[in-house]
Amino acid sequence: MKLIISNVSGVPIYEQIKQQVKAAILSGELKEDEALPSLRTLAKDLKISVLTVTRAYTELEQEGFVKNVQGRGCFVMGRGSELMREQLICKVENGLTDAIKAAKIANLPNEELHRLLDILLEANTDD
Amino acid sequence: MTNYLEVKNLSKSFDSFQLHNISFTLPKGYIMGLIGPNGSGKTTTIKLILNMLQRNGGEIKIMGLDNIADEQKAKAELGVVFDTNYFSDDWQVTQVEKSISVFYPNWKSERFAEMLRKFHIAPTKKVKELSKGMQMKLMLACAFSYDAKLLILDEPTSGLDPVSRDELLQILSEYIEDGEHSVLFSTHITGDLERAADYITYISYGELFFSGSKDEFVDMFRIVKGGTEELSADLKEKAVGVRTFPTGFEALVKTEDTGAFSPLSIEPATIDEIVVFTSKKGDDYE
Amino acid sequence: MSNTLKATKLDFSLVKPYIKVIGFTMLLPIAFAAINRSILTGVSFAMCFIAMTTGYTFSVTEKNSMERLYGILPIKKSEMVTGRYLFVLALGAMALVVSLITQPIVLRAMGESVGAFDMISAAIGGLFLFALYTVFQIPGYYKYGAIKGRVFMYIPVAGFLATLFFLPKMPADNPFVTTVVSSPVLLIGLVLVLVVVMYVVSIWFSIRIMENKEM
Repeated sequence: MKLIISNVSGVPIYEQIKQQVKAAILSGELKEDEALPSLRTLAKDLKISVLTVTRAYTELEQEGFVKNVQGRGCFVMGRGSELMREQLICKVENGLTDAIKAAKIANLPNEELHRLLDILLEANTDD
Repeated sequence: MTNYLEVKNLSKSFDSFQLHNISFTLPKGYIMGLIGPNGSGKTTTIKLILNMLQRNGGEIKIMGLDNIADEQKAKAELGVVFDTNYFSDDWQVTQVEKSISVFYPNWKSERFAEMLRKFHIAPTKKVKELSKGMQMKLMLACAFSYDAKLLILDEPTSGLDPVSRDELLQILSEYIEDGEHSVLFSTHITGDLERAADYITYISYGELFFSGSKDEFVDMFRIVKGGTEELSADLKEKAVGVRTFPTGFEALVKTEDTGAFSPLSIEPATIDEIVVFTSKKGDDYE
Repeated sequence: MSNTLKATKLDFSLVKPYIKVIGFTMLLPIAFAAINRSILTGVSFAMCFIAMTTGYTFSVTEKNSMERLYGILPIKKSEMVTGRYLFVLALGAMALVVSLITQPIVLRAMGESVGAFDMISAAIGGLFLFALYTVFQIPGYYKYGAIKGRVFMYIPVAGFLATLFFLPKMPADNPFVTTVVSSPVLLIGLVLVLVVVMYVVSIWFSIRIMENKEM
């Protein structure tokens, strides 16, 4: 997983870590039960405060993205977890809304839109 | 959580300077920055911890040990780096080891040799032939050779180039990585601490201004900026410090007070800005 | 190794750069012994000179601000101070031994006879003078440092001149002096007791100075 900390973005460092971990989980780059980098190692590698990483990880845990196993580290929660699903559904809704908007501009009839979705679903069944 | 350093109500009076009721706690596994303008009492605090100065009041515990009653035991666990080295200039690096190692039962010669290799210090060089950065690394190499649990650094970066300063931060981050070591780091170059420090203790003219997590410290204040005509009386009153110039002003304001000034530009403050704005009050002190 | 001995060892490594000067200081008095054709003179000079080198540890420490090293080492101030005295005594003992070995060889080569009594009285005299110089010097250095207190380096010289001046004027008919001088055992015993007492008092003072000193 790639983690890049910006000093000039004005976004607090813990927030930057959170956003990037979330993005990695949602993109599937971080899989279920995969461990996050050890808190102290990450702090050392990025030369940032241990407390900053702790805060990022704690908030990720509170938001349900990861679970902290005492003495073993932080692990990514399953995709089935309620929250992750909600976030994904939200993403789907947004994508579809965009599609509908574009369809409206293009004067595409609803049946045509349904047909397009079916074709795309068909094409993607392999994965 | 185990505390590696506890300072309680520490006081010390000199003829022209007083350190007042300083208290802070450094837990095991973290880096604390000790900050404040020059002459605010950072070195005095460190020398009191080392019992090189005699305190007038208060209590200090190093890894749970009283710094006076158990001075020797405590110091065997302590590594110290001062702004300049404390070895004899004429000693070779190997002589430094010979002279110092006998005092530490935990001293590991292999570890010292490993550190010299890591820091690129030639064992045959004399102390005076080493650069300032190398001398600092030599002091660190010694502390690591007896596995000092608490490292105290007094202005280690003054007079160091940016490369050495960065290396020091790298070394310190590695040092605390296992969670078994702590660092107290006094500096007036707060940029060094901006990222790596977990806790901040800020002493201003002998008084404790703040001690707690760095994020909390930085979050306490915001910088408000605007044109000269936007500097209202209300803002002036609420600001911790204001700097005005022909085309506008900058003010340090407590985060909870910023609500009223939302049309103005409000930015997060750096440690440096907080120190500069908050210690201006002290201008008439000296 | 006890902490006191560790401190002594540290002192030896402090004066390492001065080892040649110290060696020369130990050998130079041979010349004085030869000129005066007296081992008593030679040893007295030797102890005076070597006592002048005790300031080296203090000046190296001060030059390098090594009070900070002493401030962080896990060792008591009293151990540090006692270690310093042991170092000074060891240096004195070395100078004494070197003198007692080299000077008789030179003197005998010159045709002088050096008897056991001469050797013992030179040793006792040398020890006493050395103690007399250093018990004032060391607390002085501790109190004022090597630079401000460099005047203490000259205590041995002053002491030596004073001895030369007063010794002949000692009332030889004083009953106490006659008794002591006539009995070598009594003389040796008295000197040893005196030396020990002097050092104990001096060490006590030095420790008190160091414990109250802020670095």
